[in-house]
Amino acid sequence: MKTLTIILADGPYISEYAHIAFKIADAALKRYHVNIFLYLDAVHIPRLGQNPAFFADEGELFKDLAERGAVIRACSRCAAARGYIGKEDGTSQDYPDGIKITSLYDLPEMISGSDRVIALCR
Amino acid sequence: MRSVFYLLDSAPYGSEKAFGLLNAAATSLGEMEVTVKLCGDGAYLALGDQDSKGLGVPNLAEILRAYREMRVIAHEPSLLNRGIFFEGLVETVELVDEESFLEAMEGSDCLILI
Repeated sequence: MKTLTIILADGPYISEYAHIAFKIADAALKRYHVNIFLYLDAVHIPRLGQNPAFFADEGELFKDLAERGAVIRACSRCAAARGYIGKEDGTSQDYPDGIKITSLYDLPEMISGSDRVIALCR
Repeated sequence: MRSVFYLLDSAPYGSEKAFGLLNAAATSLGEMEVTVKLCGDGAYLALGDQDSKGLGVPNLAEILRAYREMRVIAHEPSLLNRGIFFEGLVETVELVDEESFLEAMEGSDCLILI
């Protein structure tokens, strides 16, 4: 199976990139192993308890992707700067199960193991 | 993938983008061939005498100097359009025209714009 990596650097709602990434990953999961790396403000995307009035809850959508096998990782430096703390195993009380806060070194590992890389950033 | 091309078109200070891009590029060193391309307002990152002390953020020119194995290319027209001439740039920065830029991009397996 081929591997697709999606890189995001914007938070949810400020742009459509989180939602576009969801749609790409949603379709790609049928044929690809999907990695998503959350960088800079994108670490806000999977936060639990979002309640947007006019948009789909991106946190719930990304939770769904993780449950279906997407590997979703958030940069630990970016997460810590924004108040999200990962435990030793990468889990966080702020994130759904399956989405982990890990090292930025996961990014080159994801890229080097991918057949396709898409960066969606403003 | 064996090579990655990071494209910066944002100014070095005022947002986290340039710092974030350099960090991401640095983590790829050793694992992949890394090229960072500075264009548009990203061209300001090529300036050698940056002083970010007043901003309370790292000096990004020093980061470029610290990672000499990182290939950094700057788009000449972007520099000229901003009144930046070719003296006083960070020593490791190579200047490229459109054609060389295209060649460098074509030679990379993936393009990442942050």
